[in-house]
Amino acid sequence: MGGLLLSEFTRQHADTLSAPQMTTFSPSTHTQHTPSDIISTVEFNHTGELLATGDKGGRVVIFQREQESKNQPHRRGEYNVYSTFQSHEPEFDYLKSLEIEEKINKIRWLPQQNAAYFLLSTNDKTVKLWKVSERDKRPEGYNLKDEDGRLRDPSMITMLRVPVLRPMDLMVEATPRRVFANAHTYHINSISVNSDYETYMSADDLRINLWNFEITNQSFNIVDIKPANMEELTEVITAAEFHPHHCNTFVYSSSKGTIRLCDMRASALCDRHSKFFEEPEDPSNRSFFSEIISSISDVKFSHSGRYIMTRDYLTVKVWDLNMENRPIETYQVHDYLRSKLCSLYENDCIFDKFECVWNGSDSVIMTGSYNNFFRMFDRNTKRDVTLEASRENSKPRAILKPRKVCVGGKRRKDEISVDSLDFSKKILHTAWHPSENIIAVAATNNLYIFQDKVN
Amino acid sequence: MLAKGVKRPRGEMEGGDPEPRDPSAAPASSLFNISMVKLHQSLRHVEPNLRHLVLVANTLRRMQDQMQREAGGPMAPDSPEAPSVGDDLLLSALDSSISTMLEDLGQVEVLSPARPEEEQPLAGASGARQELARTSAPCLGPLELLSSASYLLEDGLEDIFEDIDTSMYDCDLWSPTSLSGFKAFSGAEDSDSKALAGAEDRLDMSDLDYLMDVLVGGHAL
Repeated sequence: MGGLLLSEFTRQHADTLSAPQMTTFSPSTHTQHTPSDIISTVEFNHTGELLATGDKGGRVVIFQREQESKNQPHRRGEYNVYSTFQSHEPEFDYLKSLEIEEKINKIRWLPQQNAAYFLLSTNDKTVKLWKVSERDKRPEGYNLKDEDGRLRDPSMITMLRVPVLRPMDLMVEATPRRVFANAHTYHINSISVNSDYETYMSADDLRINLWNFEITNQSFNIVDIKPANMEELTEVITAAEFHPHHCNTFVYSSSKGTIRLCDMRASALCDRHSKFFEEPEDPSNRSFFSEIISSISDVKFSHSGRYIMTRDYLTVKVWDLNMENRPIETYQVHDYLRSKLCSLYENDCIFDKFECVWNGSDSVIMTGSYNNFFRMFDRNTKRDVTLEASRENSKPRAILKPRKVCVGGKRRKDEISVDSLDFSKKILHTAWHPSENIIAVAATNNLYIFQDKVN
Repeated sequence: MLAKGVKRPRGEMEGGDPEPRDPSAAPASSLFNISMVKLHQSLRHVEPNLRHLVLVANTLRRMQDQMQREAGGPMAPDSPEAPSVGDDLLLSALDSSISTMLEDLGQVEVLSPARPEEEQPLAGASGARQELARTSAPCLGPLELLSSASYLLEDGLEDIFEDIDTSMYDCDLWSPTSLSGFKAFSGAEDSDSKALAGAEDRLDMSDLDYLMDVLVGGHAL
């Protein structure tokens, strides 16, 4: 992986045999911006063979990487649609007279243990376990029914035959195997599969529940920060994740910019943290918006389990689990927005929740920004780059050109000024292949897949 | 569920153009206005975005603290920060307002169909608590549903059953007068009609039994 750190990325090319197609993948066949097509989560599975997206309309679309072929070496395993299904439907809560959104907040894959694939998908209230499996054979030659499925008259059967399996066109089926409902009063923001592969957790604004995959009518409450009097509420849970190797350890972040690491062995209700990570406020940067911009929108363990990465409004921070009083690294995502916080507060952009991801070797981190920009930071060389996910600016198989935002003074030819940024084009969700330099970037209702340049 | 709105006299917050307190270059008063609007908009939802609500409320409290600190310190007569009498009332009302609004959110849970138990007996010497969030499917009978969801009662109860096909019950076949006709019809063709002799004008159990036999059994009409 070394040497490919900030290599040039190219956008995946679609099938060249047919007429030029859209080379961006969209869950919908329409190109219009229907609100239900907005992608709300993106996640590679553990091998990187599959890529799942969830959208505002409750649909899940899974892409599969095609086998690399010696005949077409330039097409290095591109991703094609593998399965599409409706995971969540809008529900109506009669007691509160409100509609529960079907938007998929998070998808998390389970490690593959047999031929089928399993994933968890969640909306605001309900988590579902889906099984995705292939069917490429079907039995033929039943005795008691004919080819159309009609029952045969038993008196007409004169001999017995053994049904045989015959190949059929590949069919991919998605079936809901478990529904974990009615355990969250508040909106679910995170789910995380435990390294024991038997349990997982779901976190809402005030509580975190631990589930066993086999049991749907019970969950254990492991974190509860709801105050006795709601008028004392000043902080909510914003994200949570299990440690990648230690099944008793997890972290959760808060709207006040803090991270708590908890050990489930210490007590059943993890109200007291084992570690508490918080950076002291910089007095020179104090403003009315200090708390809002410190609110952590995403927290991710490194693959090694030694670090955690947090995303707040303006920065990405890397923390060493052994050092609680400050992060070891801080990266500025779009510091030029610091002088615009008031407008961003007015239009609610300041509340946007950006996610962040590690690459497979934990050497590069990536996060999104506005104007369809996304940023990568190389932790070793300290180089960073801004790239853009848009059709106009990246032809298929063309190398992505680095972008630059001009902060004032003379604007160079290729630069874009802060005031020209489009704040409606936000990249909130990105994913990085677990072992290769392949990234998936969700730009509103379009999915871009970039791979590093083949030499 | 919503707390009473905080009413401000119209010209109260517009005393000149206060110097911005933060680099964002906007008057603190307009930020305050914006925040109050956001807070109210947030609470208009039955289930507000809690994170948004808490962050806005905390920001408002920060502004309030700032204003109160300004009020406490020495003030120039033309100081833009000097809160007027209206501001003081506003600020004191603000805190209780936010508290009330958040307190109302606590009611949200009461209405929720299922919720992890609030009180759990302490288990074990260590005092560890384990809470089981039991799911209880909202097994509401129709009457409970009607009483809790007022939108259903808007046009009267009758409308609820509008879509049910009642033609089966409107069938004249089952009226006493038509049954005798039915009896006569079946009597003409079935040898068992003799059993109904003497009971032609009454609808009684034997008639119903006979009808059931006709419908269910192998009798030809």
